Amino acid sequence: MTTYADIFSKKERVEDMEIYAGSGAVNEQLARYGVKFGIYKNNEFKEQLFPFDMIPRIIDKDEFTYLEKGLKQRVVALNCFINDIYGDKHIVRDGIIPEEFIYAGSGYLPQCDGIKPPKGIYAHIAGIDLVQAKDGDWYVLEDNLRIPSGASYPMIARMISRRSSPDLFTGKHVEDNRNYAAMLRRTMDHVNVGGHTVILTPGRYNAAYFEHSYLAEKTGAHLASGHELIVENDHLYFIDYSGRKERVGAVYRRISDEYLDPMTFRKDSVIGIPHIFDIYRKGNVALINAPGNGVADDKGIYYFVPKMVKYYLEEEPILQNAPTYLPYYKEDMKYVLENFDKLVLKDVAEAGGYGVVFGNKMTSEEKENFKTMLKNEPRRFIAQEVIDFLDIDIMEKHELLPRKADLRAFVLMGEEPMVWKSGLTRFSRNPDSFIVNSSQGGGFKDTWVLSQ
Amino acid sequence: MGIISVENTDRLYWLGRYTERVYTTIKVFESRFDSMIDIDDLEYEKFCESQDIPNIYKSKEDFVARYCFSLEDENSIISNLMRAYDNAIVLREEIGSESLSYIQLAVYAMNQASLGRSPLIGLQHVTDNIAAFWGMTDDDIEESSIRNMIRVGKLVERIDLYSRLKVFPERIRKETRRLTNRIDKSTMRYDHKRMAHVNYLVQLDDLPYETLTDEIEKLVGDEL
Repeated sequence: MTTYADIFSKKERVEDMEIYAGSGAVNEQLARYGVKFGIYKNNEFKEQLFPFDMIPRIIDKDEFTYLEKGLKQRVVALNCFINDIYGDKHIVRDGIIPEEFIYAGSGYLPQCDGIKPPKGIYAHIAGIDLVQAKDGDWYVLEDNLRIPSGASYPMIARMISRRSSPDLFTGKHVEDNRNYAAMLRRTMDHVNVGGHTVILTPGRYNAAYFEHSYLAEKTGAHLASGHELIVENDHLYFIDYSGRKERVGAVYRRISDEYLDPMTFRKDSVIGIPHIFDIYRKGNVALINAPGNGVADDKGIYYFVPKMVKYYLEEEPILQNAPTYLPYYKEDMKYVLENFDKLVLKDVAEAGGYGVVFGNKMTSEEKENFKTMLKNEPRRFIAQEVIDFLDIDIMEKHELLPRKADLRAFVLMGEEPMVWKSGLTRFSRNPDSFIVNSSQGGGFKDTWVLSQ
Repeated sequence: MGIISVENTDRLYWLGRYTERVYTTIKVFESRFDSMIDIDDLEYEKFCESQDIPNIYKSKEDFVARYCFSLEDENSIISNLMRAYDNAIVLREEIGSESLSYIQLAVYAMNQASLGRSPLIGLQHVTDNIAAFWGMTDDDIEESSIRNMIRVGKLVERIDLYSRLKVFPERIRKETRRLTNRIDKSTMRYDHKRMAHVNYLVQLDDLPYETLTDEIEKLVGDEL
């Protein structure tokens, strides 16, 4: 385990970081390039800068090699699982996962049954959220296989940091993370069935619009809205300004499954493309990520991922889950009720840091109400031991302050699985909080992977 | 040429128009502001008339505050700058982050200018950033039709503003020549007959400014 304290001298840690922060250069650059995310407050759309802390998270070479191996294994197994669930369903038939965890979850889409996506890849881009405990062990907290976002932030932060503070990088042997766009392009090209590649955005008022437009620019893909794309004669076309129709072979869609095609999913969707699902089913366009992935990143399914690794790959899982209990199982329910105060409870249908409650933060009345709800809807929640995250320092008002942080690692499935040698480190700005999500006021750091 | 949608073609054109509108109105404002310092307190009234905008201002101070910096005033410089920003922010893929950053910087400069007591100093940073934006689009955008769509918007707006301001005919002739040379290269749809008519009008000894304004407004876009 390497921290920035190991590779920066004390003088660098305090004085140089202070100069770096105090110069305003970083914030000036972030503002210049519009590194923002959108947020709705009181029904009004606001763009705000994503708070960036210049002290990087540092992962040494051996540690990353271990993570890389584990992440590839996990994402390969998850892809096998999704293929299986929308195919022969061996894992259910063999009793490894109870069927109610598959079919009762909102992530399972019966419309995807029997579909084989191009090259058999469902989860092309996976965002795996990890935390490091104080003893140095890493735990997977969540798999994000639908539309994981966030890679653009460390990409641009690295560019800015290198400009603003070149001395920080000198002699530190940091892997270059500015290759994400090239990795993403390879991933998209690998499944493209012929034609242009587009990034489908719901538009400027989406929280992650900066990322959509930045990735389009950097990958050379075309950024498009649903109304610029049309399905005709079983193929997808982009209509250009002269009315010419250009074939599209791959869509990196940044809109969720239910809005993708009003003819198949939500009828009221005005941001999707009518009939795109029909031609996807016929293999005439690649959708990145494939619809239906929610079946594998449901918080309830998370519990079973180590079992998937053993089942599909016949290997021992390299990465461990946080100790998790499923109230669905009687013995787990008993444990959860008896140890309520030391557990964190998560609603499996929620995301973005919502639907997460800590047992010890509830009043007696809230606890009783929650326990009743748990007994009535055991499938709806999971419970986890609270992992004492390793604190990471941030610089605030000339002081180094410890804060909770997680790491979103990105795994891309091209010809081979690839793990991006960086990641999005999100931290809580509130000293008493474990919630790191940007939508809840969290900030981000660059993630340095050392090359030696 | 890469693929580009009708919507983005329109945005590029309007990005050119709004950046020019901000740039030129700041330049005009500068000269009127100078007069308002100690020569003519009511200079802004003439300005409103020349720009064909309602004179809703109560005093020269009110004019400076609202015409420059109020988002509630739809004719203000900042409102036009935000329209440029709204077009630019959805064109990152077409114009690139570097070009876009100058529009972003112009917005920050405008907000900063609103806080100071010397508007001309603050506004100079806005025009500097717009000039840098135009330079960057010329230098950085590989696709010539994209560059030309922005330039066509810019030239149409310039001729429109110049004819409203009744500037010397020779300056309008010069911009019209530039537009004529540029518009076909943009691959945009426009009214060819109207372009010919604009060329005819600017050659007249007694330049009919109002007719020219009408014609140039209808050259590109929905009026076709």
